[in-house]
Amino acid sequence: MLHLKPYNLLVQKTLTEALEAYNNGSPLTLDRIISDFDYTTLHITNDGTDKSNLLVSIRTKATQSCNESGNDLQGFLQAKFDEVPGLALSSAKKEAGYDFTITVDLSQITAQSIVQASLFKILVMSYPFYLAFGQSNALSQLNEIDQVEKSKEARAMVIKYRDDENIYIKPSFDRITVIFETIFQDETDKVFGKVFLQEFVDARKRNRSIQSAPQVLFSHEPPLEIQEVAQQHAHVAGAKKSTRRFITFVLFPRHYSSDELMFTSVSQLALFRNYFHYHIKCAKAYMHSRMRYRVDTFIKVLNRAKLDEETESDSRRTITGRKMVY
Amino acid sequence: MSQSLRPYLTAVRYSLQAALNLSNFSSQEVERHNRPEVEVDNTSAELLLQPMHIARNEHEQVLIEPSVNSVRMSIKVKQADEIEQILVHKFTSFLEQRAENFYVLRRVPVPGYSISFLITNKHTETMITEKLIEFIIDFMEEVDKEISEMKLFLNARARFAAEAYLEQFVY
Repeated sequence: MLHLKPYNLLVQKTLTEALEAYNNGSPLTLDRIISDFDYTTLHITNDGTDKSNLLVSIRTKATQSCNESGNDLQGFLQAKFDEVPGLALSSAKKEAGYDFTITVDLSQITAQSIVQASLFKILVMSYPFYLAFGQSNALSQLNEIDQVEKSKEARAMVIKYRDDENIYIKPSFDRITVIFETIFQDETDKVFGKVFLQEFVDARKRNRSIQSAPQVLFSHEPPLEIQEVAQQHAHVAGAKKSTRRFITFVLFPRHYSSDELMFTSVSQLALFRNYFHYHIKCAKAYMHSRMRYRVDTFIKVLNRAKLDEETESDSRRTITGRKMVY
Repeated sequence: MSQSLRPYLTAVRYSLQAALNLSNFSSQEVERHNRPEVEVDNTSAELLLQPMHIARNEHEQVLIEPSVNSVRMSIKVKQADEIEQILVHKFTSFLEQRAENFYVLRRVPVPGYSISFLITNKHTETMITEKLIEFIIDFMEEVDKEISEMKLFLNARARFAAEAYLEQFVY
């Protein structure tokens, strides 16, 4: 499993099961809490006693900050879910303790709607990205002088998707800068992280086949694009500050030239932190198993040094080959 | 094996052979105690022998502290950079956690060294001394190899992961 998938497999499975059961005439009674990356919780329940309808609710840390960047997250999600049959974002039925709730009409949904519902978290997080794409396109329509001026004024958007870690998005007329702020929990992660990040930065230079991928930069200090915004969010304590790292992705218009590309770019970027930390953990796990193996070989060498407890001459055996015990 | 590693290991081997000449020795201070003299605070200096210090360079050193019934041997493993430091620390602590399987391994290294062994007369009585030295020499060779392999692996993995991630953006 090299890549992390943007959709939530559990949501997908649950909905597929529910649909199958519904089609067979015995609808399921559901009440499932599903978690996703970045403290996201999803809740799937029946809509009261009506078993042909399901409610899927989501709660993420990112919701508030995503909404702040454009103030119409609700409308954005509504449009996304209206694209496919059987899903509707319902503000009336919003579950207490959750940010958004969609109703799933089992009599109407298709495989496509199930996929869309399982992308719930990514959709919430993609809102600022889409705003940035929009702004960038609008800026590129202006004349040359305005382009530069207006790009400078463009506000960087923030997604606060974890406790102390944020994503900053800054649109400009010819590119979009996405900056990840990440914190390493322990010393080993920090060092391993450095190796990984360095490779991210170098990968594009080394491998010609990925020349067209976004440029990646890495720094300890907040990059200039977000210095103002980062100041506002610089509530992080001193000790944590030293482990803060900034990873910058520069997206060029070719990465968001069509709807499909926009979506793939966003879903990959939204998972960057997870991907990156996941591979650090994998490397650690591999090293652990490797050390285990190494310990075994050392013990083998050491056991060669042991004196045989008894030599053949002073042990007596019965005719069947068993040892005599005195 | 590189040119300068061989004489280093040879020196360690001969020093160990000389040091591992142990006899059973009961404590002079506490009745019915038999303890490794190199590990206890000693009032009787005659029980401790001259320590031997073998250095290949400032990063790779061996300290052998012989006494009448035990030898403590400490190895400083090469740590060129941050990554190697972490890897050496992880690897040695991994071994130390399994010290009971290694009989001669000390759970805590001597300050300034990466890993320590404590060989007592009990060990030389139940094991072939020559083979025990073989083990330690083998260990010293393998540890260096292992650390550099792990480092290479980490880089390779990071590169692969980074390229695989960025490839998704190639349209």
